[in-house]
Amino acid sequence: MKLHYTMLAAAFAATLAAPALAEFKPSKPVEMIVHTGPGGGADVLARFIAQVIEKENLAPVRFTVNNRDGGGGLRAMAYVVEKKGDNHAIAVFTGNWLTNPLTRAEAKVTVKDMTPVVRLVLEPAVIAVKSDAPFKTLKDFIDAAKKQPGALKQSGGSTTSRDNVVRQLLMRETGSNWAYISFPGGGERIAALLGGHVNMMVIEPQEAGEHIKAGNMRVIAQVADKRLAAFPNVPTIKEAGFDIPNVPQVRGVLMPPGVAPDVVAYYEGLFARLVKTPTWRKYLEEQQFEDGFQRSADLARFMDSFTSQMRDILNEAGAKVVR
Amino acid sequence: MDILLSLGQGFLVALEPINLFWCFVGVFLGTAVGVMPGLGPAATIAMLLPLTFQMPPTSALIMLAGIYYGAKYGGSTTAILLNVPGESASVVTCLDGYQMARKGRAGAALGIAAISSFVAGTVGVIGLMLLAPPLAKMALSFSSPEYFALMVLGLAMVVLLAGESMVKALLAMLVGLWIAGMGIDLFSDASRFTFGLSELLDGVDFVIVAIGVFALGEVLGNMERRGEGTLLPVPKGLRNLLPTMAELKACRFAFLNGSVIGFLIGVLPGAGSTIASFISYGVEKAVSKHPEKFGTGVPEGVAAPEGANNSETGGALVPLLTLGIPGSGTTAILLAAFVLWGLRPGPLMIQDNPQLFWGLVASMYVGNVMLLVLNLPLIPLFAQILKLREFVLYPIIFGISVVGVYAVSNSLFDCGLLAAFGLLGYLMQRLKFPSAPLILGLVLGDAMERALRQSLMMSQGDLSILVSRPIAAGMLIVAAVLLLMPLFRRANALRVKAIEENG
Repeated sequence: MKLHYTMLAAAFAATLAAPALAEFKPSKPVEMIVHTGPGGGADVLARFIAQVIEKENLAPVRFTVNNRDGGGGLRAMAYVVEKKGDNHAIAVFTGNWLTNPLTRAEAKVTVKDMTPVVRLVLEPAVIAVKSDAPFKTLKDFIDAAKKQPGALKQSGGSTTSRDNVVRQLLMRETGSNWAYISFPGGGERIAALLGGHVNMMVIEPQEAGEHIKAGNMRVIAQVADKRLAAFPNVPTIKEAGFDIPNVPQVRGVLMPPGVAPDVVAYYEGLFARLVKTPTWRKYLEEQQFEDGFQRSADLARFMDSFTSQMRDILNEAGAKVVR
Repeated sequence: MDILLSLGQGFLVALEPINLFWCFVGVFLGTAVGVMPGLGPAATIAMLLPLTFQMPPTSALIMLAGIYYGAKYGGSTTAILLNVPGESASVVTCLDGYQMARKGRAGAALGIAAISSFVAGTVGVIGLMLLAPPLAKMALSFSSPEYFALMVLGLAMVVLLAGESMVKALLAMLVGLWIAGMGIDLFSDASRFTFGLSELLDGVDFVIVAIGVFALGEVLGNMERRGEGTLLPVPKGLRNLLPTMAELKACRFAFLNGSVIGFLIGVLPGAGSTIASFISYGVEKAVSKHPEKFGTGVPEGVAAPEGANNSETGGALVPLLTLGIPGSGTTAILLAAFVLWGLRPGPLMIQDNPQLFWGLVASMYVGNVMLLVLNLPLIPLFAQILKLREFVLYPIIFGISVVGVYAVSNSLFDCGLLAAFGLLGYLMQRLKFPSAPLILGLVLGDAMERALRQSLMMSQGDLSILVSRPIAAGMLIVAAVLLLMPLFRRANALRVKAIEENG
């Protein structure tokens, strides 16, 4: 009898311990969901990640990209939530995933419905003017904008993009005012600046690099926490004397809702190893991205604070915030 | 002389066996994705990009560029044979190409498309080689007011696409403009005409409308006229499948027109090949001695848009390679490819990487020849498809259409939209509404609205910005003349009639 109980107890203990011992490992190809078509920013990053995982032999299975473009990112988000409990689906997200549902009544889900995995990169930006413009510093530009309210122009993307958020924050801080002209493509934004049709733009540093080298563009400030290696002599916005919060452009990885903690831990670990590889370090350096690596718990906190910051900014900018 | 020397070195690079091989792979793949509706060069390049990291950059670039211009060759095939535009810029080719096929000249139409593509592709490369830096400067002086005027000029083409009733054409165009307005507004972030559906937030993809209205509308219309036993005539013998000398002669001006217009519009980052093909078709019709025959299957109506579509490639590479500014989806991906190889296209590219630049230019000459050699023998093969009986052919068209639309977005919602636009196309055909103006409105509406709003934001609401800049004003005047032309013609007809009656 006594023996019997011991055996039962042992068997019971074994079943309890089993999940902890049998660590999760993907058993079939992992689907990477992105919200852009092939060639979009998130798609290029996802394909690069898949390539690094394969090259460095980080996982026993292949990672394949699934483009769920459309609906301004909402289609991909809805798809991720539909995959509830799927251990072989991850999503590469950008700041848009956090911002877009705020202004879109059509959104049925938000990132709060998903499982945070890791934050990967922060994309800094620089504020650029044409090289023959009279503005040598950000202060020059803002003083000019104060003198003729609304006369200076900035080219950028949609009203919810970082370009416009930086503008809103700077205008609020200094009481100045200039126009914001939306262009759908990055190429058109640069063409508008180089053609002298607008006066200023917020641009990704590696995009600006060649135009600076050729002497067509000048950088007057950096949208970053600390100075980038490529621009050691250009002050950040804070250093230039304007006390506004830094607006990071973020990219990272989420999972569908309802996945077990050990599964999240597996992918967390996978990406922790990925960001240490030389290939990844070289990529960050070439793209002039900041290493923004954060684990699941930190990412969850970051997403909350970023969302509420964006909500305030959008409210103030006069956008219709729906949630 | 410098250019010839550089080009010679470029050919040394392009003619290396390994580069010849990748050039062939590129143009072959390009032709294949061009023939398949839906899957475009942009998606293909993006998917192949990771595979090219192991290759030397020059070879990789030669291959990827081959996909880009190769796809333009292939796009005309389904447009001519099945009235299914293989990619957006082939819509205009449907107008006369499909009518030629119905008259038994499918082979000729395909041949003219290939020859025109070859001529224009080559002109585009020559333009890229000789004019890149000065043209890139010119493109920068183009801004929103000029784009607005260009779009207005494009919309004025409705006069030339109208067919019998101007009112019906204008109505169709307005529907096109309305569809173009669907989705998220870039300026206010508000969603318009989405009916609460997140699927409509990005607007309606132009390919869905074009395939629905052209291909499905045509099939539905033909099915209704069943019983006429309309097996399309396909002449026997290779000779009868190729264009005749008379047909080629008729296209002389169209080759030139398409090449030049396509290249110039290609240089502008905010325009694109669809607009180029519409405008070159319009110009061809405007200067033609028999404009009334356009839309019934004239070879010029195929040569002009196909040429424009192909030389646009050379044009689009100008701002990409000399300024680092991508003007279209495909060139944006090419830019991403450059960056991943650690190259930065821009003002210094030609100086810093002459081998790459000239190798690419030379490979485009080689690739264009390959495409011609690859495509001409395929024509008799493709033309055979029209020998199929209706009960085989129509399901094939349906299948290709649905697969094409699904391939763009992997969305069943879009397939539903396709069905809706197929019905719309059928109804328009029954009620004698021309479909080209609808597509014209859809293609230009978005860009025109954007350019107008950008211009007015630049001028702080002052409308005079639209007419005070010389290039913009010039284009607006041409547009006004185009729009008023039918009125003059009518007045003249009345005058002639009055004189006759009196006399």
